[in-house]
Amino acid sequence: MGLRSFIHRLTAPKSFDSVPNGSFKLVLVINHDLKMGKGKIAAQSGHASVSATLKMGASKPNLLDAWLTSGQKKVCVKATQDELLKLEKDAVKLGIQTVRVNDAGKTQIPSGSLTVIAFGPAQDGELEQLTGHLKLL
Amino acid sequence: MLSDHDGPSMALVVRKDLKLSTGKLAVQCSHAAVSCSLQAKKSEARIFERWNNGGARKICLSVKDEESLRVLMGQAKSAGLITNLVKDAGHTEIPPGTITVLGIGPAPRRIIDLLVGELKPY
Repeated sequence: MGLRSFIHRLTAPKSFDSVPNGSFKLVLVINHDLKMGKGKIAAQSGHASVSATLKMGASKPNLLDAWLTSGQKKVCVKATQDELLKLEKDAVKLGIQTVRVNDAGKTQIPSGSLTVIAFGPAQDGELEQLTGHLKLL
Repeated sequence: MLSDHDGPSMALVVRKDLKLSTGKLAVQCSHAAVSCSLQAKKSEARIFERWNNGGARKICLSVKDEESLRVLMGQAKSAGLITNLVKDAGHTEIPPGTITVLGIGPAPRRIIDLLVGELKPY
């Protein structure tokens, strides 16, 4: 290790905070105002999950690892577009990561439609508060 | 048939015989997508970047049973592609250990099309 990188390591702020205990999940909330087919919903959820994973990997790798190693638990629920946007605001207040997916609109629905928002990965309890009332898909 | 110069693509192939609910299906496909992406990020960084920056194209297809899924996985592996087989933990709906989805790629669209071009969209 060079001297500069050694000094950098001593002085740089910690890139992630410590991981709280407990179990973690990722909640995928589907925009139920859109009439999407099953396969479409699955692909959109895939987008949301991959984006959430990569984003968390850049910001809180510890939390990401905790989620991945505990089986990358995911839950898929539905809401209206208005509910979705409100949830997004609430999540930001609670400090839960959100990722929006807007469709390219190559199939089925108009381009730019909001299809899914991913919430988390975060602690079960926090997400339960936020999305516990939503119906499973 | 799609042209060569299109960006890389990922295929999520689902077993039709399980009759999964929409939510379950979405979750299982997400597992496959995340696992394949992480694998690709490590081992095939260039194609991963191209895929991710080019809209991270994903398609969801179906096969009739586990046997067909395994045959497909064999073909994908021998073509040197990234594959990920999702086994359900069985907390809901189906018995633990059930194989639900096969993720293939990201890989060049031409190769993905050769492999799964015949399959029906889910």
